[in-house]
Amino acid sequence: MHADLLLQLDNVTAGYPRQVVLQSVTLSVQRNTFTALLGPNGSGKTTLLKTLVGIIPPLQGKLIWNGQVRVGYVPQRDVLDSIFLLSGLEVVQMVTQSEKQWALQCLQSTGTADLARKQFSQLSGGQKQRVLIARALATRPDFLVLDEPTAGIDPTAAAAIMELLARIHATGLAILMVSHDVALMRRNAQRVVWLHHGKVTEGPAAEMLSRERVLEIFELDLG
Amino acid sequence: METLREILDPDFLLRNSVCTSLLVGLAAPLVGIYLFLRRLVFMGVALPQISSCGIAFAFALQGWGLLPHAHDTAEEHALALLGSTVFTLAAIMVFAAFERRGRSTPEARIGAFYVLAGATSILLLVKNPFGEHGMLDMLKGEIIAVSDGELIFTAIILVFVTAPLIIFRKHFLMVSYDREMALTLKKPVLIWDGFLFALIGLTISTAVLSVGPLVTFGFLLLPPLIAHQFARTMRQFALVSSLIGGITAFIGFALAYRWDLPVGATDVVLLGLLLAAGWALKKLF
Repeated sequence: MHADLLLQLDNVTAGYPRQVVLQSVTLSVQRNTFTALLGPNGSGKTTLLKTLVGIIPPLQGKLIWNGQVRVGYVPQRDVLDSIFLLSGLEVVQMVTQSEKQWALQCLQSTGTADLARKQFSQLSGGQKQRVLIARALATRPDFLVLDEPTAGIDPTAAAAIMELLARIHATGLAILMVSHDVALMRRNAQRVVWLHHGKVTEGPAAEMLSRERVLEIFELDLG
Repeated sequence: METLREILDPDFLLRNSVCTSLLVGLAAPLVGIYLFLRRLVFMGVALPQISSCGIAFAFALQGWGLLPHAHDTAEEHALALLGSTVFTLAAIMVFAAFERRGRSTPEARIGAFYVLAGATSILLLVKNPFGEHGMLDMLKGEIIAVSDGELIFTAIILVFVTAPLIIFRKHFLMVSYDREMALTLKKPVLIWDGFLFALIGLTISTAVLSVGPLVTFGFLLLPPLIAHQFARTMRQFALVSSLIGGITAFIGFALAYRWDLPVGATDVVLLGLLLAAGWALKKLF
C-alpha cells in the first residue's frame, strides 16, 4: 500500500444482514486530507461510515488499513440519550477512563472547558457537537471520522465547528466527514467521495463539487 | 416507635426477613438503573415473572418425579434458585439477541412472555402438591420464614453481583450509553453485555426467590424512577436509587408488621407514594 494512503476499501459490500446498501465499493482515504462524503438521503453515507469505523462489519470485501490506525469517531449528537446524567467532562471521560487532565485538555482544545460540569443533555446543538469532537480527540486518533456534525445547527455554530475541524486538520490529522452541505464542503474539503445510486466516485474537491456534478447528483434541473 | 424498637432488637423473630428485604432493596435498584437506562423497563416486568415460572417448573419436575424430592429447605432453596436462574438467563439471552439486532424489543413480544410465564406458573402450581408449599406466599411477596442459611446465601449472591456492578460501572455504562463508540474503540461489547445481563439475571432470580416477582419488579424500577428526577450525576443516580430501595424496604417492613399487611405489597405501594411525591415536588420547585 502506498505510504500516502491511510485506508483502502477493496470491493466492499456494505449493509446489514438482510439489506445490502452499497456494493463493490473501492476507494481510498489519504493521510492528512480532509475528505467529504456526500450524497442524497438514503445513498448509504452513514452505512459506509459505520463500516469504516468498525460498527458494522463489511458483508464482503476488505478494509485495508496502513498499519495501526486509531480512529476517532464523532457520531450524530442525538445518539446520546438524554436519559444519561452525564456532564460534558464525563462524556469525554468515558473514553479516557481515569485520565481526567487529558479529558479537560481535549475539552479546552475544542473551546468547551467551561462546559465540563454542565449536563450534556442541556447543551445546545453546537456545544454538544464540540464536546463529542473533544471525546473523539481524547482517543488520540490518527483519523477523525464525523457523521454530519453541522446538521441541524445554526450557521454561526456550524462555521465555528468547521473552523475547529480546520485547526485539527492543520495538525496533520486526516478527516472524513459526512455532510449534506455542499457549500461548506466546497470551502473545506480537499477530496470528495460521492455516493449516488449505489455508485461511488471520488476525486479532488474542485472537480467533484463543480456545479454540473452537483446538479447531476441531486437530479436538479435549473432550466 | 415501639414497632421500630422491636424490629431493631437483635432477637427479633423476623430479623432474617428484615435483612433479606433490606438486601434486595439495596441491590435490585443498582441493576434496575441499567434496565432503565437501556429502556428495557418492560423486561424488568417480564423477567421476574419468568423467574418465578422457573421456580414453579423446578418444583413441577420434582412433583412429576423427574427430579429427586428435596429433603430440607436448603435443598428446596437450591432447586428453586436453579430453576429461577436457568429460566431468567435463557430469557435474557433471547431479549438481548433482539436488542443487539437493533430492534428495541417490542413491548408486545415481552408482554407475551410475561403473560405466558404468569399463566404457566399458575398451571404448574395448581397440579403440583410440592410446588404450592411456600410458593404462593412467595408470589404474594410474603417474606416470613427465612432461615439463617437462606439469608447468608442471598447476601453472598447479592454482594457477588453488586461488587462487579460497582467495579466495572464505567465499562457497563459505556456499552449501555454509546454502544457504537465502544465498537469503534474495539471494546469487547458482547462480553460486557453478556456479563451485565448475567448479573441482571442473577439478581432477579435471587430477588424473586426472596421477595417474589411483584416486589422484585417494584425495586428494579421504582427507585431509579424516583432518583432520576433529582440526581445530577450517574453516581448520584446509582447511590440514591439504592438508598431509596433500602430505606423503603425497611420502612415498608415496619409498616407491614405494624398493620399486619403483606410486606411486598406494602413496599411497592410505599415506593409508589414516594414516586408521586417526587413528581409533585419537581412540579412545585
